[in-house]
Amino acid sequence: MRIVSATAHALRIPFVEAFAHSARERSCSDSVVVRVVDDAGVEGWGEGAPRPYVTGETVDFMLRHLAESLCPRLLAVDLPPLCVPADLPAIDALIPDTPTPGVLSAGASRAALEIAVIDCALQRADRSLAALLPPVRKKVVYSGVITAGSRDKVAEHARRMKLIGLHQIKIKVGVGDDVERVRAVRDVLPNASLRVDANGAWTPDEALRTIEELAPLGIDAIEQPLPRGDIAPLGALRRQSPVPLMVDESLVTMADAEELIAARACDFFNVRISKCGGLARCRAIARRALEAGIQVQIGSQVGETAILSAAGRHLAASIDPLAFTEGSYGTLLLSEDIAAETVRFGHRGEAPLLGGAGLGIHVLEERVRRYATNTVTVPAV
Amino acid sequence: MSMRKRIEGLFDRQVADLVARQEFQDLENGRASPQDYDRFVASVVRTHLKSPQLVAFLYALAPPRAADHLRHNLLEELGIEDEAGVAHPSLLEDLARGSGLGARLAEFEALAASDIRKFAGDPLLYGTLRDVGLAALCEVTAFEFMLSRLASRFARALASRRGLSAASLRWFTHHSEVDVRHAEQGLDDLVEYIRAYEFSEEDAWTIVDMTLRENVFVKRYFGEMSVRL
Repeated sequence: MRIVSATAHALRIPFVEAFAHSARERSCSDSVVVRVVDDAGVEGWGEGAPRPYVTGETVDFMLRHLAESLCPRLLAVDLPPLCVPADLPAIDALIPDTPTPGVLSAGASRAALEIAVIDCALQRADRSLAALLPPVRKKVVYSGVITAGSRDKVAEHARRMKLIGLHQIKIKVGVGDDVERVRAVRDVLPNASLRVDANGAWTPDEALRTIEELAPLGIDAIEQPLPRGDIAPLGALRRQSPVPLMVDESLVTMADAEELIAARACDFFNVRISKCGGLARCRAIARRALEAGIQVQIGSQVGETAILSAAGRHLAASIDPLAFTEGSYGTLLLSEDIAAETVRFGHRGEAPLLGGAGLGIHVLEERVRRYATNTVTVPAV
Repeated sequence: MSMRKRIEGLFDRQVADLVARQEFQDLENGRASPQDYDRFVASVVRTHLKSPQLVAFLYALAPPRAADHLRHNLLEELGIEDEAGVAHPSLLEDLARGSGLGARLAEFEALAASDIRKFAGDPLLYGTLRDVGLAALCEVTAFEFMLSRLASRFARALASRRGLSAASLRWFTHHSEVDVRHAEQGLDDLVEYIRAYEFSEEDAWTIVDMTLRENVFVKRYFGEMSVRL
């Protein structure tokens, strides 16, 4: 089997309402969707969501990197069969690591291509991604995420989540008045599991002070309290913090994972497909974390379409144990999604496993083209 | 402020937002292309073709004091409220045929059926039929409210700018200003539903607000859920 053509679309799908955290506010999605076609005419779809403030990748970089570096390499080789879980890393190994100045890791580019090729190969074999990521649970339970906003806005979102029945909630903090905003959520959801995410907004002193103030509200994890960088302050904070710490921006590569483990700098890893470079790398990082006694969250990028949501569903279903899962917001956030099926979670954040070949969704190319702001095609070889 | 006033205020804002949209203004001032008029007609047909089924669902959940009105609505949708009644889906089919879109009715029917399938098959956000019913009743009442204020303007635009006959515009004239009383009754029903099912004001408002956080009129007539011809 060979991939004979690849097309990358930069997508901007409007949000139903803006989503903000300490580093960014966005009102539409910002992702790149890749479509590959093999020599039998079978297509596969993948997606990456570049975040300049996390990996250094931008949408323009992704389009260029995919068109000039990654896709041509894949178009030139015979792809290995994908039958069993041990085959998963084979596709990752074919995608070159090409260091680029200013880019920490081309994770989103790699993820988009890896998922597209895997989807294509599995579609051709009429086999589900579950063959490579065997599920260990019958449903995936998602957390709700509350955007950074005023105390009233945060309380309003908490009331929505209460009615939707979500019982694991993450609140974006690091925007001032954090304790009062988290208290507003706790007032609405007295029994929910609460986590907060500072997106690296705090200094070590601010972090410790704020965490100590938040702790009495019953917080299960503090995500990325400090900016990515020197791990020593994070380790020092962890030793003093009354609340377990989770890393996100600090965890992009396997090398990051090893460094964090060695420094005993955190209690949780937030593993995200687009950030960490695809399914194979996420599996490897998650496995390493669990071996080291670190708990795992399968996270997501804000505004993911059904493609990353489906990939995330399969990944989350296969990790055991799994502390938390995020994503699959679908049309709760996007004004329209790009698959025929609804992938978003339902009441209590529950979502069924996806059946069917490949990712288990049917991407509607007409919709992809409608939301595409730029398209690059790697011609057939 | 009473719940009724709050909901009416939200409906008013959504109607004003629709009227302010360029697409609406272009329909009225004639700057819309023939394809735009056709697309609007097709979207209206898709949106409302299955209304009897939705109203039947709401009737099944109706509290006693709102049941009479919802039953009347259902009979009216089905065209059996009196001897002169015509089923509303038939009026929508007349609208499509009068616009020269008769050949595409099967396509619109399939889209409307797929909307019902999604409504029924997508994972439920809420945990009870009571909550799902409030969201559905809210959206149906919002459309009734909007049509009572704008249906005649739509009809005038389609007649004067697209040359549609009075016969083909009966669905709009049926929902025009004379229906203001219906819309008022719809608001009363919504408030009665909230009271009868013992919603807290906060929970009721949260569901109403979530249901209408997007402008459903724009979304269905001109936006993501409109028909692309």
